[in-house]
Amino acid sequence: MASAGFTKMAAAGIKLHPSCRTRQERFGLLFYDCKGPRLLFAATGTLLPADYFGTVRRRDEFPAGTSESEKKALQKFVTQLLEKGFLHEQ
Amino acid sequence: MSNKYVEMGMRSPVNLTWEVTQACNLRCSHCLSSSGDPAKNELSTAEALDLVEQLHTAGVFQVNFGGGEPFIRPDFEQILAACHKHGIMTCISTNGTLITPELVSRLASNRLVAIQVSLDGAKRETCDAVRGAGVYDAAIKAVKLLAATSIPASINTVLTTHNADEIPAMHELARSLGVSLRVSRFRPSGRGADNWESLRPTPEQLISFSDWLAKSGDVRTGDSFFSLTTQERQGLGLNLCGAAKLTCCVNPTGHMYPCAFLQSDRFEAGDLRASSFQEIWDTSKIYASFRNLRIHSCEECTRFDQCHGGCPAVAWHLKNDINGGDPECLERCVTSIADNRLAEAA
Repeated sequence: MASAGFTKMAAAGIKLHPSCRTRQERFGLLFYDCKGPRLLFAATGTLLPADYFGTVRRRDEFPAGTSESEKKALQKFVTQLLEKGFLHEQ
Repeated sequence: MSNKYVEMGMRSPVNLTWEVTQACNLRCSHCLSSSGDPAKNELSTAEALDLVEQLHTAGVFQVNFGGGEPFIRPDFEQILAACHKHGIMTCISTNGTLITPELVSRLASNRLVAIQVSLDGAKRETCDAVRGAGVYDAAIKAVKLLAATSIPASINTVLTTHNADEIPAMHELARSLGVSLRVSRFRPSGRGADNWESLRPTPEQLISFSDWLAKSGDVRTGDSFFSLTTQERQGLGLNLCGAAKLTCCVNPTGHMYPCAFLQSDRFEAGDLRASSFQEIWDTSKIYASFRNLRIHSCEECTRFDQCHGGCPAVAWHLKNDINGGDPECLERCVTSIADNRLAEAA
């Protein structure tokens, strides 16, 4: 059972929460949650396109060409977005 | 603390106030835009729908509809639908008198709409003295209809000297009706300027309200920009005037301003019949001046990090000086009270 649970979690995808929107700004991505409303300013530069989380992504999936150090930073960022409810697991 | 990302300049507003009509069935004595009769040459349906397309292209997240009474406009639901088609969140400020079960039912079918109903007193006589006879009952009826749905609903109260003592009771009233409370600042624009002296809260009332607000975590404030609690505002570093940085205002005839309280020729940023929304946001000299506005006279104040000089619109209306700092800020309230006591003692 534990193994099946682990497999399920590892396979889970992440996506922008339906109540949230994003757009590209000079500093990176601006997230908006219409429930609240809440804003999140993310200094991601041009690492992620604004519509990146509009489709289901793996938690460790990032655009081609992302360096290992950038991936580490982005993984922390994704965790933060999940904790704050801007992303949700599918 | 300020928000360094906002200082870098945003590609478009996060939200904006769109006064879709000047027509209103009420004549509230504090109305910021002197609403009543419709303005001459208000945006047509086609022009309004084109503006929605432009807002979508610009990436605007939220439109706060006001007026006038938005529901007077026959095509208002069409404008709302166009926003929702693009995923734009809408917040409607209404006097509640035109809210019917059928309208609420239609609005509730969409999860992108929030509604705030204006109510200016916990007591019927306090509210109706400002808004007109029978308005309190109509607004309460509207709030009850909305509270029975999934629509996020709130009561919006403009703080005046007459209702300042009733704000805690309004908080209780909102809770009992199952909605939230938002308190807006009274500003001397529109009919509010004509009735400023008779409606303005005293310095003692402003300080008392500020103390109460600090203890009432779920009460929201904010007029032209974001409806936030005090904690949210501090946490985001958005304790600053958002005009032309995070928000702006479109009037019924398609003219753009920094905020709803500065709708005069002096502050006109552009005309949507002559330029696009994005052009005006990007190139307006008025907007540039607001983005560069620094209230140097307030920088030595111990509260500067909390307000950044306060509301430029109040500074303009009371002192004709956009750079002069908010004449009704809490620090000046304290000074004013102390001066009065010294004068009385002398």
